Amino acid sequence: MREISLSQAVNEALAEEMRRDPTVFILGEDVAEAGTPFKVLSGLVEEFGTGRVIDTPISEPGFVGMAVGAAMTGARPVVDLMFGDFLYLVMDQLCNQAAKQHYMSGGKLTVPMVLRTNLGATRRSAAQHSQSLQALVAHIPGLKVALPSSAYEAKGLMKTAIRDNNPVVIFEDKLMYQDKAPVPEEEYLIPFGEAAVKREGTDITLIATSSMVQVAGKAAEILAAEGISAEVIDPRTIVPLDEATLLESVKKTARAIVIDEGHQSYGVTAEIASRLNEKAFYHLDAPVLRMGAMDVPVPFSPALEDLTVPTPEGVAANARRLCAGELLHAA
Amino acid sequence: MPHDVTMPQLGMAQDAGRLVAWLKAPGEPVARGDVLFEVETDKSTMEVEAQADGYLTGVSAAEGDDVPVGQVIARISDSPEAASSEAASSEEPAGADEPAGDSGDVGDGGNGGDELPDGAVVTMPQLGMAQDTGLLIAWHCAPGDRVAADDVLFEVETDKSAMEVPADRDGFLAATLAQAGEEVPVGAPVAIISATAPGNPIARPLDRAATPSDNASTGAQEAPPATVAAEKPTAMQTGTRVAPTVDGRILASPKARRQALEEGLDLSRLARAGHPQPYHVKDLATLRALPDEAAPGPATMAASRHLTAELPREAFSDFAAWAAENAGLTDEAALLACLAGGCLGGDEAIVAHEACGRRRLYLVPAGPLGGATEVEDGDPDIVLRDLRLTRVSGLRLGAEAAPTLTLMAFGEGLSLTLECAADQLTAADALALVSDFAGRLEQPLRHLL
Repeated sequence: MREISLSQAVNEALAEEMRRDPTVFILGEDVAEAGTPFKVLSGLVEEFGTGRVIDTPISEPGFVGMAVGAAMTGARPVVDLMFGDFLYLVMDQLCNQAAKQHYMSGGKLTVPMVLRTNLGATRRSAAQHSQSLQALVAHIPGLKVALPSSAYEAKGLMKTAIRDNNPVVIFEDKLMYQDKAPVPEEEYLIPFGEAAVKREGTDITLIATSSMVQVAGKAAEILAAEGISAEVIDPRTIVPLDEATLLESVKKTARAIVIDEGHQSYGVTAEIASRLNEKAFYHLDAPVLRMGAMDVPVPFSPALEDLTVPTPEGVAANARRLCAGELLHAA
Repeated sequence: MPHDVTMPQLGMAQDAGRLVAWLKAPGEPVARGDVLFEVETDKSTMEVEAQADGYLTGVSAAEGDDVPVGQVIARISDSPEAASSEAASSEEPAGADEPAGDSGDVGDGGNGGDELPDGAVVTMPQLGMAQDTGLLIAWHCAPGDRVAADDVLFEVETDKSAMEVPADRDGFLAATLAQAGEEVPVGAPVAIISATAPGNPIARPLDRAATPSDNASTGAQEAPPATVAAEKPTAMQTGTRVAPTVDGRILASPKARRQALEEGLDLSRLARAGHPQPYHVKDLATLRALPDEAAPGPATMAASRHLTAELPREAFSDFAAWAAENAGLTDEAALLACLAGGCLGGDEAIVAHEACGRRRLYLVPAGPLGGATEVEDGDPDIVLRDLRLTRVSGLRLGAEAAPTLTLMAFGEGLSLTLECAADQLTAADALALVSDFAGRLEQPLRHLL
């Protein structure tokens, strides 16, 4: 199968959906002429014109609000939010308006918009351009949240997001735009709420999102060399969450580590760990561990920044301790 | 000091840059700030400046190459020719000709002994995580031998295993600084390998070898016993497993608890057997393999029955007095034995009566009360333990060779306890025996009718 980069995969998904459905359009900063700082949208304005690939002024609340209105009145906008960190600017448009219109209109209105943004540190982009804020939006009922872990997921999830009648936020990892993965030529969609077992194992389940799936995969390699068989599962969407697949795996392995690049406290990892605790407690042979980004603003210093995110070695070390039956917390 | 020239990261999503052109030629002098080369990224073409003064050397990327970000593509050196020789010497490990200084250190150690030959020092390697010494088992080469890098120099024993240590470089074994049988601190010099054949090869025991003073103090004679770390048998048990119990609580995983419950296993037995907590599913295998705690001796059985009844005291004592006065049956023990033997329902029974530390055996025939005769020996069918005169008010002694009835004072009345193994009496028989015997004690005349 051909291999394409994550940015090409997103580009293909958008182009295919825009050809299929004339109500799909893109708006955001630098989406047309520049094709975004990450070159994800290159070539789209040439095919679809400035009427469907719209450069906006630098006003996130403005253009996200426009997208909500367009979605409510029959269009399917795909909003480009250049950095996930800018979510703070659009909280009202996204969480108060987009997420709640269907509910508050008694089902008369739908908001079929997609908000494309990104997450991920270790790009030396400092504290205001390095955050992973998926927990923030996953907390709000009415929003769906997708976290593609490769080019394959990026394309399939984007196409599903565009066709969904609810507001969907997709976080792409900034570091993965150039990562290539096999992507079929023919059309495919990845349904929401369907986790992917990326690697089968019997001793411990590593549940990882976005680029942490790669981290978990490398950790599984390290562990395999030591005789520990790790299962790697990518939930792909955290809202909705494929609980059944996670529970089935944890019931088999009796141990789990949940890895997500958001800050560890009050995060995605906590939510998933909590569900495993509630629904698989009597199958657990060790406490479920969370691994997220350190609870600090992401440092600019490369040496410091690299310490704040989970690494394969760190995941492997924790997995080793769980499998050894070490007492992790005070008695 | 040469300065590396690397491909810079010029854009956010850039992982490689195309080298468009070199603006300096190899060997040409450069000054800090001079433009060295041009790079094209997906956005633009940029000039990259020299970060140091010197000469451009070691150019390893050509115009038109796509070079990964961070890769060294040239150096700025102190001289125009420096590149190749510098590269060679800095890559080379501290080799055969270099450690002359090291061996000098080795020789300075204070005893003013033999001058040690020049050469590379081979030290005691650290072969295990918790290892601080290694037992030198045997030398595989003799002083003066020519050795190749792959040759085994000596053999070391650690907690876990014996390992062979290779020479790691070609040369001659110029000195051995420890003898077989000595515990050598990790990092202490064990041998010197010289580049040329040594004139006067040296062989010393460790304590003469002037190990660096810090090693000497923690040296071989103080080596901790090699078995200290040997307790952890499996590779996976590297972490801390503590044995705390707060209020006698057992620390165990939910899954281990559930499985223990399902299998009827008692996790506290692991604790009593000294296994460190917390317990996990894999510890259940250990638990299953534990020998039974109350190892069934010849006289005791694991599963026992324990039944208790209460009854008034007067009935039997009145009867005993009546029997003594009217029937000449003055042996109260025999009387009790008859009542007990009668409960068993066979043709005859041997009843052991134990009271005040004395044991008597009675042969009790079926039939009227009073036919009991004391016998010298025999296996009792039932034991009657009379503790009415003691302060014992309750007991749980486990099953013995025969079902055992115990009479104790209990408040104003008596208590009767039957203990027996499950295979001595069925539950129904045990219940019948207790209620029958209690009934006979309460209304002894029933026995006569």
